[in-house]
Amino acid sequence: MDIDDILREVDPTSSGVPNETSDLQSLTRLWVAERSAPELLEWPSGGLFERINDRIKAQIEKIEILTGDMDPKTNFALIVIQTELERYKFLVRSYLRARIAKIDKHTLHYLSSEELRSRLSETELAYATRHQALLHNHYLSSFLSSFPTQLQNLNDTAGNVSMIDSPDLDAAVFIRMLRDRPVTGQGTDADITLNASNGEVLILRWSSAKSIVEDGDAELV
Amino acid sequence: MYGEQGIKLVQHAKRTLNLSHLPPYQTETVRAVTREVRDLDKDVTELLEPFQGSFNPSADQAVACTLLVNHLSMRRNKRCLLAYHRTRTDKLEELVWKGADVVDLSGQQVRGDPNAKDTPTSSLSPQEEDYVRQYSDLLAAYKGQWTDIDLTGSLEPPRDLFIDVRVLKDAGEIQTEYGAITLTRNSQFYVRQGDVERLIAQGYLQKLS
Amino acid sequence: MALPLPPGLVPSEVAFLCEMEHVTIVPRQRLESIELLSGATPSLRPPRRENIPLWLALLLKKQRRANILPPPWLHVDSLRDLIHHETVTDPTGWSLPPPPPVRADGRGNARRLNSDATTVLSPPFLPSCTSSAPAGALPYHWFEFAEMLLAHASDDVPSASDVRSLLRDLQEVRAAKMRTSIAGLESGVDGVMSLLGVGAMELSESRGFVTGVVEGVRKLGASAEASRREEEEERGGADDDEPSDDDMGI
Repeated sequence: MDIDDILREVDPTSSGVPNETSDLQSLTRLWVAERSAPELLEWPSGGLFERINDRIKAQIEKIEILTGDMDPKTNFALIVIQTELERYKFLVRSYLRARIAKIDKHTLHYLSSEELRSRLSETELAYATRHQALLHNHYLSSFLSSFPTQLQNLNDTAGNVSMIDSPDLDAAVFIRMLRDRPVTGQGTDADITLNASNGEVLILRWSSAKSIVEDGDAELV
Repeated sequence: MYGEQGIKLVQHAKRTLNLSHLPPYQTETVRAVTREVRDLDKDVTELLEPFQGSFNPSADQAVACTLLVNHLSMRRNKRCLLAYHRTRTDKLEELVWKGADVVDLSGQQVRGDPNAKDTPTSSLSPQEEDYVRQYSDLLAAYKGQWTDIDLTGSLEPPRDLFIDVRVLKDAGEIQTEYGAITLTRNSQFYVRQGDVERLIAQGYLQKLS
Repeated sequence: MALPLPPGLVPSEVAFLCEMEHVTIVPRQRLESIELLSGATPSLRPPRRENIPLWLALLLKKQRRANILPPPWLHVDSLRDLIHHETVTDPTGWSLPPPPPVRADGRGNARRLNSDATTVLSPPFLPSCTSSAPAGALPYHWFEFAEMLLAHASDDVPSASDVRSLLRDLQEVRAAKMRTSIAGLESGVDGVMSLLGVGAMELSESRGFVTGVVEGVRKLGASAEASRREEEEERGGADDDEPSDDDMGI
């Protein structure tokens, strides 16, 4: 909570500091990125959400124990704990729902290749697969089953028009640099490169920004 | 003319986007568009029959052109039907996320329908009612993985979880998470907003700044 | 739909994010450390200063358990300097954000905080609103931070009414610059544009409009761009003059 803790957190020479602070930063960054990116981003590896879920569970149990203790001092602590818990729950909720909204919008796209499927968490993958099956069944029972067989698919690409809609990867995004480095962006009239410095905010296409963000040299804002 | 019924469905879908409720399912139009697809397919089969599987488009351009138009019309109708149904399932899903179940949704009666007097007509097709049931189950299963988060909770960042209130009228004792509070006139409390929202609405309490 | 919100944070979410900024408080009452999800709070012992997240500071302030120390950039002199910078020194660009944090290592050498760390910190997790933040530089969350402080702790802000009117001036100067930048976009978009020094709320409020303009221009120019790329392909071939991201990475 103290700034010194945060400083120690990023200092590779010290260790043994609890990772609560860096988990909050990671969750916050994931949330902002998912709310801003035109496509679904990768589900974090490294057990972040397992840790967060466990901590939230433990915190809710603690609140139940503290509740009923009418000492005004612990009462205030309870207010602080509950306020923070609500903030945390909001972050996780908004993050998960931003992802589900993207998955719902382009379900077939995200199920169409191994690379794309690997971005989903296990539960998201189960949800997406089942959701698509429900939709397909619904179309079949509403009209599709009385179609000629060759027209019953949902992934036609005839006439160069794919039925699988996909997100617009050239949509404009805002990123903030985390390191100094040159950034190249594709534009209508010209592609240009500029030397961007740590903390600088840039506007460019997601297709140009993606690799820089994935390298950890910039973040979506 | 081919495609006329299809465009009707798309117009319906477009109108639905701006409505808060779901208008009645267009059973007749859906049936007409589906029938049109089958008729077109039959035409294609009949057109191709004399060629016994050895049709050469460049040798018989007139037939090729008819075939192309038929194919495009079928695909267009398919897209219209998909767009119409998808717009409606999107709407239904949105309502399920907001907590509606199939009983709430199918209970929406068709207004101004003279036949609706005794037999209430659902604005959902039977298939849509099934879909709502199944999607509700799917969502419940997904939510079950995140019970502590309350996935269908507010998407507004939390603000003022606890608020100061002044008691305007004696309201007796209320139960809160911290035990009982006795609300006597002109006293002030710092309480969880969710515990007292109703008392504020009823005029017993006033929220301070 | 699972999330009925446009892409990018909306203003209420930006304010929520800003509440994670750390701020310096002077406790008025003792308070033991509290185990939170994001770590333990410091135990409060008046009058020892501590840095805590803004949301917690505002909670303590509301309960009169602490006073908040405004960051140096929110003082009258600093705001005057900033307005002078924005209007006279550099009438086209925005004030620079605070420099990346520097700290001394054990051997007495200052080094950049983020230069070699695996977790790179950024707002709201940088100490840019604490009492040790520099004057004369506007951090990313300047606007909403100042608004919240003035709304809930104006008695802790020296010359609060002057600060309020200076902030309004600053906001107007900067809004005019944002309008100029957007007007520039309409005449054509290069591949990347810098908004060095822009604030979170300024970004959130003009995001929809800016991306709308950029995307409109992109779609109108799509065929011209495609033929330009084809031409460049023919001319360039293997001799690609675009620097590869991998080569340039640090």
